[in-house]
Amino acid sequence: MERDVFERRLAALAVLIAAMLVVLVVRLWQVQVVQGDYYLRLSEENRLRVTPVLAPRGALVDRHGRTLVANRPAFTVALLPLEFRNPRPEAQAVGKILGMDPAEILSRLAAGRDRPFEPVRLRRDVPKEIIAAIEESQLDLPGVLVEVEPVRQYVYRTLGAQIFGYVGEINDDELKRLHSAGYELGDLIGKEGVEETYDAYIRGRNGQIQAEADAQGRMVRTLGTVPAVPGNEVVLGLDLAVQQAAEAGLGDRLGVVVAMDPRDGTIVAMVSHPAFDPNAFSGGIKAGVWNGLLKDPARPLLDRVIQGAYPPGSVFKVVTASAALQLGLVTPDTGFYSPGYYNLGNWTFHAWKALGHVNFIDAIAQSCDECFYDLARRAGPNEVAKYARTYGLGVPTGVDLPNEGSGVVPDPAWKKRVWKQDWYGGDTLNMGIGQGYVLTTPLQIARMMAAVANGGTLVTPHVVTEIRTGDNRLVARIAPPPAGHIQVSQQTLDVVRTGLTAVVTRGTGTALQMPGFTAAGKTGTAEAGHGKPFAWFAAYAPADAPRLVVVAMVENAGFGAENALPVVKDVFQAWLREIQSGATPAPAPKPTPGPTVSPVSAAPAAPRKSTQP
Amino acid sequence: MSIGLDRRVARNIDPYLLGSTLLLCLFGLVMVYSTTRYGLHPLAFVRSQVLHFVVGAVIAAAILTIDYRSFASGARALYIVNLLLLAAVLVAGRSSLGAQRWIPLGPFGQFQPSEFAKIAIVITLARHLSDRPGPYTSVRDLLPFLAHISIPMILIFRQPDLGTALVYGAIFAGMLYAGGARRRDLALLGVAGAALAPLLWHILKAYQRRRLLSFLDPSLDPLGAGYGIIQSKIAVGSGMLWGKGLFAGTQNVLQFVPEHHTDFIFSVVGEELGFIGCLVLLALFYLWLVRGVRAATVARDRFGALVAVGIVSMVAFHVFVNVGMTVGIMPITGIPLPFISYGGSALMTMIWAAALLLNVGMRRQKILF
Repeated sequence: MERDVFERRLAALAVLIAAMLVVLVVRLWQVQVVQGDYYLRLSEENRLRVTPVLAPRGALVDRHGRTLVANRPAFTVALLPLEFRNPRPEAQAVGKILGMDPAEILSRLAAGRDRPFEPVRLRRDVPKEIIAAIEESQLDLPGVLVEVEPVRQYVYRTLGAQIFGYVGEINDDELKRLHSAGYELGDLIGKEGVEETYDAYIRGRNGQIQAEADAQGRMVRTLGTVPAVPGNEVVLGLDLAVQQAAEAGLGDRLGVVVAMDPRDGTIVAMVSHPAFDPNAFSGGIKAGVWNGLLKDPARPLLDRVIQGAYPPGSVFKVVTASAALQLGLVTPDTGFYSPGYYNLGNWTFHAWKALGHVNFIDAIAQSCDECFYDLARRAGPNEVAKYARTYGLGVPTGVDLPNEGSGVVPDPAWKKRVWKQDWYGGDTLNMGIGQGYVLTTPLQIARMMAAVANGGTLVTPHVVTEIRTGDNRLVARIAPPPAGHIQVSQQTLDVVRTGLTAVVTRGTGTALQMPGFTAAGKTGTAEAGHGKPFAWFAAYAPADAPRLVVVAMVENAGFGAENALPVVKDVFQAWLREIQSGATPAPAPKPTPGPTVSPVSAAPAAPRKSTQP
Repeated sequence: MSIGLDRRVARNIDPYLLGSTLLLCLFGLVMVYSTTRYGLHPLAFVRSQVLHFVVGAVIAAAILTIDYRSFASGARALYIVNLLLLAAVLVAGRSSLGAQRWIPLGPFGQFQPSEFAKIAIVITLARHLSDRPGPYTSVRDLLPFLAHISIPMILIFRQPDLGTALVYGAIFAGMLYAGGARRRDLALLGVAGAALAPLLWHILKAYQRRRLLSFLDPSLDPLGAGYGIIQSKIAVGSGMLWGKGLFAGTQNVLQFVPEHHTDFIFSVVGEELGFIGCLVLLALFYLWLVRGVRAATVARDRFGALVAVGIVSMVAFHVFVNVGMTVGIMPITGIPLPFISYGGSALMTMIWAAALLLNVGMRRQKILF
């Protein structure tokens, strides 16, 4: 090829390149400079709206499928930052209608600044009258949107409040922690209780609607929809009727009730009073209500069942008795004399009652304090502490609820470390009857009783039993493995059970007797720092093949037998009625091809006769 | 084969070409940051892009030390390896948006053979054109070259990657034109290609057809594929003369513009830096392309000259189609903006293309023939 032809063609290529670039420059001039104003305006009022669609949270149902927590539709008022041209006056106007501080509205707007096309929710669950007022002034408030969204509804209000927890907008800490799990600013998240523990199952997945809006912000055309995926249904081991009986039995008094299946740790009822109404949180809690809950000296937000720390009183004699039996200090026939007091050096320790001559079984049945002072002294604090720990005291039970407490199992080393004091003989005596430094959560006591009842297995308590999809397919079965087996022989357990049965047949707990019903239990009356003692009653039934452990504790009420036992009785009665009524009035669960279905069911196959109290 | 950089040769390096390459890369990194700095890991994209730049530049330095004529001798092997890689994509590739373009590389991520194939095609076609220097007196004389380029083109079309296949067409046209093919023969091939279009239509994925149709008539699908074009124009236009300021774009944040860090990155340039910023960027491309043409002019042999022409044709086509797409004068075909768009394989390919141009220009003959 000729060199000059080549060079001419290269020159032609260079001209072509220049021409193409000129075309681009001319076109850019046309778009950016000539029509720039037009496109700028279009960009400022860009028409695309992305509205998140809140996924309805999964329902919480009891063991028979009765709905405990659901959702109801409600109005949400949101702001579109993009449309909010004059934030100050408009925030003032919106704040006036909604009864919100304009400063708060502005700070919420600022938080959503980097995604100006996404609505920022101002208030959930807004009453109809306010919605009407907003729609009247829609033209003056172009950036205000009204949406219908599901709001959490706690059907029985305060019932089970601490078990369920509540929902609220995700806070900064949670967002930081959970962002990688797909949580976004403004998301609702479970706080406390089952709502928190199982949030990942309950929350579902939010969807979104992409739509084109007109100048008034009304959606004209839907461009695309990503449907929300509803959350999974959570099946609780709770029995609504039993729970209601427990709530009613405790009434207005401060205290707890917990009922648990000793075989696998399924919690059947769980009450902590005073409670609160979680519905107050669903639409965003008002500051006054929130402060009231926080400042209430009775601490309604506290789940006393798992977060309280109480001296267990004589219920703790289960531990002392086990220690004494294991160490060979007593047999069932060992005789004691109860004068009503016990001398240790120069100190006199009082007993609740002078019982005279008793054997060991009656010492348990009548809750003989001197007997257990003596046994604790002879066993020594370290041995008592060891058996307390083997029954799972002093450590969290591992229940599927957040922020569980662990109580205190004291021993000389502990006292030295924490109180910088020596351990005295009197400390051992107090410990022997569950006083002094011993602190437990009611759930730990329930688990201890369960271990006695089930032959020594330290179950892991759990309120949830299954996770199911909306169309009733099994997602997960919650059956946490037991924490272990207690280090107590079968003979020891047999003696302890004999003693606990005697409590009901002829001891301090005879009031629990019902026709056709056998039970075992232990009363407790624990000195409180102030006021009347804490009343305890912990029981299981039937005595020979236990299926339910019930523990009640009433703060500053007096004797356990008089104040806590009746509550326990109410719970057992409700439970028996549930069994007798054939149990499952709810839609029977459809057979599911789930991978881990176990045949175990807490409901009996046939109603039992003669259990009417 | 001479390895190592002679001082006299190194002195011949084109400072304008080198400088504009580096400035384009820097411009690209800034824009990638601007378009991807949202979310939890604001630096993730730009970090990956910097990494690819560094690796690409090290390899480019190695390319400079090798006389470009060595590549001519390896052309046959290169051609075969290239076909194997493109075939591998079809067999084992990872797909995105309904098209298979990537080969996974385990811990090293993935790469896109069709990007590197662009350079392979330029080198092998240049060698082929040097081996058959013509003169080409009829269309039949061009058929071997058509066959040469058709095989990889069909493989890429099968992915399907319409845009990249068209890039090959541009490389082919540019190199054959500079190589001496008659204008009317090239025109004939072009007409034949256009006649084939209805056949190719069936191979296209539905989304690609929609994109092409909506370019022809945006009102056909104003809210789907046409929406991207409209939003891109809004972004570019709203930048006006001076732009909204770097990192101050809103269309970008709003994610109205699809693929705004890859194919549509220019619409963010337009929005944030305005007409002036666009002029600066296009001027950099112009400088780069003109120096590329100069490298072809001063090349010591036909192979070097045609390599330079092929690279210039490739980049010019990319720039024109990509920028044209963002302002609505070209259809959406999925072609990245060289040096600027996010994408490791594309960036490294462009850096190596620049290295080849520098290589050809550096080893020019002092005395022209």
